[in-house]
Amino acid sequence: MSLRSETFADDLPERPRVLLVDDDEVNLLLTSVALQEQGFAVTEATGGGQAIRALADFLPDIVVLDAVMPELDGFETCRELRVLPGFESLPVLMLTGLDDDASITRAYEAGATDFFVKSTQWSLLAGRLRYLLRASRTRVELERSKSRLARAQDLARMGSFDWRKGQGGPVFSIEGLRVFGIGPDQRIDFRKLLRMVPDEERKAFVELTHNAMERSTVLATDIHARLVDGRQRIVHIEAEPEFNEHGNLVGYTGIVQDVTDRRLAEDRIRHLANFDTLTGLPNRRQLIWRAERALEHGRRLSHQVALLLIDLDRFKVINDTLGHGAGDELLVEVARRLRSCVRHSDQVLESSLETVGVRSHRTLEAVGRLGGDEFVALLPEVTDERDAERVAERILEAMRMPITIGMQECFVTASVGIAIFPRDGTSVADLLRNSDVAMYSVKSAGRNSSSVYRPSLAGQGREKLELESALHKAIERDELVLHYQPKVDVRGARMVGAEALMRWRRHGMLVAPGDFIPLAEETGLITPLSEWAIREAARQARLWKDNFGFDDSIAVNLPSRLFERTDLVEYIHHAVTTYGVPHHAIELEITETGLMKDLQNVIPSLHRLNEIGVEISIDDFGTGYSSLAYLTTLPISELKIDRSFIRDLGMTPQSSAVVTAIIALARSLGLRVIAEGVENLRQMEVLHRLGCGIMQGFLFSRAQPPEEIEEWLQQTVLPRKAPWIGKAGSADLPEPPRATRARVSRP
Amino acid sequence: MIPAPTPVLDEEALQRLRDLDPSGQNHLLERVLRAFEGSVLRLLPQLREARRGGDMAAVRHVAHTIKSSSASIGALRLSRLCAEIEAAVRQEAFAGLPELLDAVDQEMGVVLQAVQPMRSQTP
Repeated sequence: MSLRSETFADDLPERPRVLLVDDDEVNLLLTSVALQEQGFAVTEATGGGQAIRALADFLPDIVVLDAVMPELDGFETCRELRVLPGFESLPVLMLTGLDDDASITRAYEAGATDFFVKSTQWSLLAGRLRYLLRASRTRVELERSKSRLARAQDLARMGSFDWRKGQGGPVFSIEGLRVFGIGPDQRIDFRKLLRMVPDEERKAFVELTHNAMERSTVLATDIHARLVDGRQRIVHIEAEPEFNEHGNLVGYTGIVQDVTDRRLAEDRIRHLANFDTLTGLPNRRQLIWRAERALEHGRRLSHQVALLLIDLDRFKVINDTLGHGAGDELLVEVARRLRSCVRHSDQVLESSLETVGVRSHRTLEAVGRLGGDEFVALLPEVTDERDAERVAERILEAMRMPITIGMQECFVTASVGIAIFPRDGTSVADLLRNSDVAMYSVKSAGRNSSSVYRPSLAGQGREKLELESALHKAIERDELVLHYQPKVDVRGARMVGAEALMRWRRHGMLVAPGDFIPLAEETGLITPLSEWAIREAARQARLWKDNFGFDDSIAVNLPSRLFERTDLVEYIHHAVTTYGVPHHAIELEITETGLMKDLQNVIPSLHRLNEIGVEISIDDFGTGYSSLAYLTTLPISELKIDRSFIRDLGMTPQSSAVVTAIIALARSLGLRVIAEGVENLRQMEVLHRLGCGIMQGFLFSRAQPPEEIEEWLQQTVLPRKAPWIGKAGSADLPEPPRATRARVSRP
Repeated sequence: MIPAPTPVLDEEALQRLRDLDPSGQNHLLERVLRAFEGSVLRLLPQLREARRGGDMAAVRHVAHTIKSSSASIGALRLSRLCAEIEAAVRQEAFAGLPELLDAVDQEMGVVLQAVQPMRSQTP
């Protein structure tokens, strides 16, 4: 029904519509006029039949019926009206005679809302009608609000209940019954409710309820319920006690809510946060959490805890040759096998751990995945390191069976490093680090074995091992950066190239190359590092090309052993084409010593590089023992005068003699010559006078991140602001040899 | 025969009717009186017919209707007579009924006569 409900409850329609029914024309006319006078819109009917017909296409706000009429009287009309759809709660006022008590009773029986004794005081009737309209409006609002609440509860799968002390079980609302899968006409008592709760939970629930009632406290709990139709749901129950004026508990009112979906989602979130999605094993976060709990227990109960770091050997090879999909499959299988090696417990542990008993830390035992191909086994209690070693042996044994991926059989081995609490560390971080050191000692000793951490490992170069293991991951962790030192043509005051120098950003600090390059060379890591540097330099050349038209070379330092690699040329080719720069964008620097040591092995590479346009520069020239005979035949482009000669320039006559000789040699061989380590104007001037126009050193710029090089160009070189600019201008000096080379004569 | 001292139409009731249409623009009084006249002229034959045929329910209904409409225009004596008829029929006290019906018949004539000049008063 519609009582123009959009207006406010106390606001009646502007002109409420009245259907007035009376067979007495005089009365009809008078009542009608009186009501119109009072602000009503009146539709008249002279009989019940006419009134019912009028209602077919007219919806009044209220009906006024004369009780006594021929044919269809007021009572019958009311009865007929009430069964019409939409008229169930339309207010109907019955007009009766003053002395007609029987009519009043009959009026209510017929469904009239109220009666009114006919009177010539018409304003009284208008007042009554307004009252009825207001009451009806309030009732409609109430009904609507009730149905809204029911609907909201329904949507929230929520219902209410009420329990009065000493009056049997709880009484549920229809929505409350629905939560338990029970129809509106059925009842549920406490016993029936309890039968839905699984046996193992029932006792605890009864106890909880009991305690709450005894102490008159709020009851709030989740129960598992097996509904009549067999569905398993989780129902949240929350109830508040109610007291009488003496403060005695009289009952509880509360709500029940089906929280199954929410709980499932929460469980899923908790699982995602704590478990590795690929293998389903606890993830790093969960592992560290467990390890911390295990250490707490170990500390309290004075027992040892073991941490085993398991790293697959050469997993990268499998990943690279069979693809990541196969790699993932392999990790899943490895995870499955690792699980079987310990008393793995999957449960996500909550803070309730402490209450479960002294041995509860046993449930912490697990294998987890730290990331990549690194796993950790946590043994929360070991008697001695032999315990841990036995588990390590079990792990290595479990790996022995080949793993079939697709149609291919793969043999996987692992290196296991073991650290024992408290001996090898008292924090999870220490234990992880030391197990890592132990694991790397296995790797360097030939892999596929296990080793317990020993301080002697540190004695043998624990730092080195740590550094090595960290350097190992430096590339994938994106910790390496290249800094650039410009090569400057001092006469033209412009940058003619740059040398790339590697830096390692470790724990927020920059590690200088001298601190890790020797180690990298020793361990062979220099190869991936150099490859990375070539790729990165090519990328930077492209960026600079786009930013300011850079078309010179970026020089990358390579150890001689890299030149022995037959695929070096392909690698460089691949790098420059990837970034869309010409081959000459990469220049390679090899030390004089390195070159001469491996000359025979290096020469073929040099030729091929030269053919594709990659120039070679001889670094630290003057410190080695170059065979001048070879030097004339080698496909090299540049000699780099060693910084030691530059340092002494102008201080010892010998240094200036060596520099003069090198410059002369370079000129006669048609090679470019460059001086590095130029730190002051005096050195610059001497070099320039001697005929070396390209320099590198702090005087111009130290090695800096690429963006700062750009800034240096913009703010120092281009505006010609540096002290060295314009100082080397004597016209009688020859142009640097570089300027005569074809590549430089671009516009 | 001395005419009844009270007027046929109660002045107070007439005033209530005038109050409903204070300016007289709607000619409410005239319309009500015309409606009354029409109603009575229709009901009077019905009442006589019912009396002749002994249809007490019809007698009661006509009496009921005239009771309230005559009260409305201030024909209080007629209204009272009708109320007595209605009550008598309801209580099945038929003994005094013929006299009452005669009195109603007569009073109706009186009331119609009183109404006639007022309802034709058109401004």
